[in-house]
Amino acid sequence: MTRTSRLGAALVLAAAVACGGAGCAVIPVGGPFPVEEAGGGDLSKPFQRMIAVSPRNDWNAQQVVQGLQAAMAAYADDPEVLPEYLTGEAAKTWQPDGPVTVLGNSPKYEYVGKGDGKEVRIRLTGTPVARIEDDDTYVPISGAQPQRIDFLLLQNEEGAYRVTSMEGGSGLLLTQDDVSRAYRPTSLYYLAGPPGVADPATDRRLVADRVRLRVKPTENFAETIVRRLLQGPSRALSGAVGSVFPQGLSVRSVRSADDRVVVNLSGPIDAGGVFADGLKAQLKWSLNANNVANGRIIEVQLDGEPFFSSEALTIPAILREEWLDNDVRPAYYTSKGAVHSLNDDGAGNAVQGPAGQPGEIYTKLAMAGGGDLIAGKHQKDGGIWVTRVAPDGRWEQWIPGDDLTAPSWHRDGTLWTYDKAAGVVLRCDVTAGRGPERVAAPGLDNLDVTRLRIARDGVRVAVTIGENQVMIGAITSGAGATMLGNFQTLTTVKDEEIRDIAWRDGERLLVLVQSNAVQSVREINIGDGETTQLPTGNKGLKSLTALSDRVLAATQDGGEVLEFKRESQAWTSKVESDADNPLFPLG
Amino acid sequence: MPPPKTKRFRRRTLRQILGGVRRRARRAAGTVRRVWRRSLQLQVVTSTLVISVTVVVVLGVFLSDQINKSVITGRQDAAAGEAFADRVQIADALNQELDDQAKPASGKNAPADPLDAVMETITGSGDDGSKKRYEVLVLNPASPGRSRASGNVMPANVPEPLQQWLHRQVEKIPNDKPYLHKAYIKFTGESQSRLTLVIGGLVSVDGGATYEVYHFFPFSEEEQMLSNVRLAIVVVGFGLVLLLAAIASLVTRQVVSPVRLARQAAERLASGKLDERLRVRGEDDLARLAASFNEMAGNLALKIHQLEELSQVQRQFVSDVSHELRTPLTTVRMAADLLYDAREDFEPMAARSAELMQAQLERFESMLADLLEISRYDAGAATLDLDSVDVRDVVLRAIGDSEALAERHNTRFELRLPNEPCMAEVDNRRVERILRNLLFNAIEHGEGKDVVVTVGADRDAVAVAVRDHGIGLKPGEETLVFDRFWRADPSRARTIGGTGLGLAISREDATLHGGWLQAWGQPGEGTQFRLTLPRDAGADLKGSPLPLVPPEIEMRRTWRGQMTPVLLPATGDGAGHDED
Repeated sequence: MTRTSRLGAALVLAAAVACGGAGCAVIPVGGPFPVEEAGGGDLSKPFQRMIAVSPRNDWNAQQVVQGLQAAMAAYADDPEVLPEYLTGEAAKTWQPDGPVTVLGNSPKYEYVGKGDGKEVRIRLTGTPVARIEDDDTYVPISGAQPQRIDFLLLQNEEGAYRVTSMEGGSGLLLTQDDVSRAYRPTSLYYLAGPPGVADPATDRRLVADRVRLRVKPTENFAETIVRRLLQGPSRALSGAVGSVFPQGLSVRSVRSADDRVVVNLSGPIDAGGVFADGLKAQLKWSLNANNVANGRIIEVQLDGEPFFSSEALTIPAILREEWLDNDVRPAYYTSKGAVHSLNDDGAGNAVQGPAGQPGEIYTKLAMAGGGDLIAGKHQKDGGIWVTRVAPDGRWEQWIPGDDLTAPSWHRDGTLWTYDKAAGVVLRCDVTAGRGPERVAAPGLDNLDVTRLRIARDGVRVAVTIGENQVMIGAITSGAGATMLGNFQTLTTVKDEEIRDIAWRDGERLLVLVQSNAVQSVREINIGDGETTQLPTGNKGLKSLTALSDRVLAATQDGGEVLEFKRESQAWTSKVESDADNPLFPLG
Repeated sequence: MPPPKTKRFRRRTLRQILGGVRRRARRAAGTVRRVWRRSLQLQVVTSTLVISVTVVVVLGVFLSDQINKSVITGRQDAAAGEAFADRVQIADALNQELDDQAKPASGKNAPADPLDAVMETITGSGDDGSKKRYEVLVLNPASPGRSRASGNVMPANVPEPLQQWLHRQVEKIPNDKPYLHKAYIKFTGESQSRLTLVIGGLVSVDGGATYEVYHFFPFSEEEQMLSNVRLAIVVVGFGLVLLLAAIASLVTRQVVSPVRLARQAAERLASGKLDERLRVRGEDDLARLAASFNEMAGNLALKIHQLEELSQVQRQFVSDVSHELRTPLTTVRMAADLLYDAREDFEPMAARSAELMQAQLERFESMLADLLEISRYDAGAATLDLDSVDVRDVVLRAIGDSEALAERHNTRFELRLPNEPCMAEVDNRRVERILRNLLFNAIEHGEGKDVVVTVGADRDAVAVAVRDHGIGLKPGEETLVFDRFWRADPSRARTIGGTGLGLAISREDATLHGGWLQAWGQPGEGTQFRLTLPRDAGADLKGSPLPLVPPEIEMRRTWRGQMTPVLLPATGDGAGHDED
């Protein structure tokens, strides 16, 4: 090989290496390689806001009122614009406090009297649809009359109109659009059982508290949720639930860090003595139920340091323990008075013991949480009788009375009913060796309570008043004694009749409503009254029972048990004859 | 008054410090300059560094600019596309709204505001929406409740110039164009501002309303990426420059090392080590240089040897001739003395011839003596007979010897002797001969004016200056005077009968002592010779206790404040050390 040819070969080799190694491919191909998991995920969903603009001098009075309403919608984000719509004196006296009135969309604006001149009156007419209370509770108002709010405007020296007074309304006026833009329905979770006695050993349950939280542009929604969670439950649950977070605890930040979400708290909390499992559950469900930080580890810090001085408090991405009682449980129905289990393919066997024996003596049966006790109302003496589901079980009278509502089991094993004759709520705690005793229920005084159902979370109580009103309350502990309180109307029907109610889970109540010709099943979120209508089909329904995603109903005349299929949005027959009174344990 | 004193003291101190710093800096600069001048390697490395830094900076700036442009342009284009699509959607929705409003109102079930609906789509705030990487602000300040924003964007976040520009565009609809603006914006609830690209456009609705639509695209990631790229370019550039410098240093070293060896060999050769040779390795240019050098050194050594031999032969010849001439000269001298003594008996012509012969014989004798002396120096046979003497005594003796001649020339001596003895280790005879030579010279050229003899001494040296006020020396003659047989004016006759070797011998005598003999002269100003001798024979002289230029001349120069013609150093040796 000559020197020249050797040089040539070297040059060719160098060119090949340069071209193959780097020059040809801008992004090299190849793989597979392990990838670092990107800690993405946002702690808030995108949102849009109303931007308040300052009033202009060339606006007419109606535009000024419209602008004022828009400024109210943006008040929480930008409180400086709203006073510009008011006259100097009005700006001093106007208060944004109190509940927020939510009107239907597109309220009407009209002039009352003259449309020009120094003093102009504009009337805003809108249908109030809800109220957002100070504690962030969303209270729907159904069937209300249109509300008229008069705005009195004065012309200032520059000829511009400014609002001087508002008659017929107070506080902030928002439209439904404003609310859906700025507020998010949010479920917060608290520990079941009265506050202060949260005992780690007993009831590891969470109770949902539904509120509407305003999205703040300056913080992520996760932070808003945690901040609100720390403030404690809304009035509907006050005294009924507890929280591991003491008063005075505040949230510094909630942020994303690598594979986890870091919640940084600050304030007086005894890290050593805290009910850590409860804290984990409260935080995890409150965030995850609102689609925040799903599938991510949550780390709790105290003042930027690990929560426990020695180690960090982390909540795994998947918490095995079920803190909400929505387990799959067997369903039952009665056939000729005998309780049968309901299998996947239809009718099952009768249960053991006297409850499984045919007979029409006991009606309105209810099964205890463990499935070991069945209570029923005696057809003749009107008392509540209970039997064990066992071969040696026998019916025993637990609560005597002539005019009692259907029995309802609490998850702690107590049996509840309402004595319509005496107008009192009765509770029977046999395991503690106590007979029927009265439970104070000040909210139900002088009301015609026709049904009383205790939710599976053991805190919420639903009652029907007459046949056209549903109220929701909670089992609270006032002055050391258990009582029913915090009653609020959930729904009122007009020209319709409530046939049955059933708890689906801690948040949703099914209401079977019968009007003259049409039946409907409404699923109402007890937190904010959000109602979904379930189709009913052409078979008339008599009673309902539900557990989580399963909804069962008994037909009015055919003796059939139907199940609602969510996929097909239709009722299918489970047991076709001689079936009645479908029931799930509790609820 | 103490305070001013302190002040003055402090100021002087400061000035001294500054002066010291300046001196040190100058010294350091001098050192650096010297190192720079002497090191070829340093020069090559520095040049490479400068050139590569320039190239890397230019390339880096160009590269960074290109990357910036392509990234930002790409991102801007994408952003403009998204903003345009959104504006089209908004325009569509709002024009739809107008159509809907034209229809009779459908009461309670009025549809949600189309503006809200379209904002939900754009911002992804709907149920199935996903987060967009930008924020939108729709602003309609002319209508109440018709402005929306996503995220934490506020109207105040819109850059002022962009908003003003859009406002000016309102009249130009529909020929408006969107505008973009990049700025650092601090959004509500954020602690620091972010680089954001804001695109503003107008959406006009058929009803006449105009909406300003602003899109805020965060540019922090791009900024971060570009800053990383820039950092990478800087690091790579820095590395490249260092690498180039290292390569240059290595390559230069390979070349310079043999050259340096050659230089050292040449220096040794120059210092007389004629057998110095370079090692020849390989066949490259440097090896050939070494071979040539060796050949040259060989030839040079041969030539020098030949010349030395020749010179030796010449010197020997002169010495031999001088010796050989002495014997007949002695005879001729004896005969001439007889003739001279009997001259009065001769005829005047013969008597005059005898006198002339006597005089020329004397001159011949002294010339021969001088030639022998010089040849002793040339042969390196001159030695010092050292003795510690007071130079003042030597001077006085020399003056005593010269007095007869001075009287003949009507010349007076002016003696300036120090009071203390000026002891030095010298060869008495030689120094006296030097001084005699200088005095005779001064008398001969002094034109009868006074001859000033000054003696000075310091710690290391003693000096004697002999000054006459004769015709002086022309520029350049200060060194020539020490040449053998040199004559200022060849036409001028020697009155004293000097041999033309006196100053040359004096110079050799002074050099033998390790001293200097220097001359100064100026036409019309006379001449001054200065003899400087170390107190210890052979010690290095650092300066002379007496100035070479007479003080009165120096003072006159200062008074006039004008530059005198440049004075060349009197001689090669010692002139450079003269600190006067």
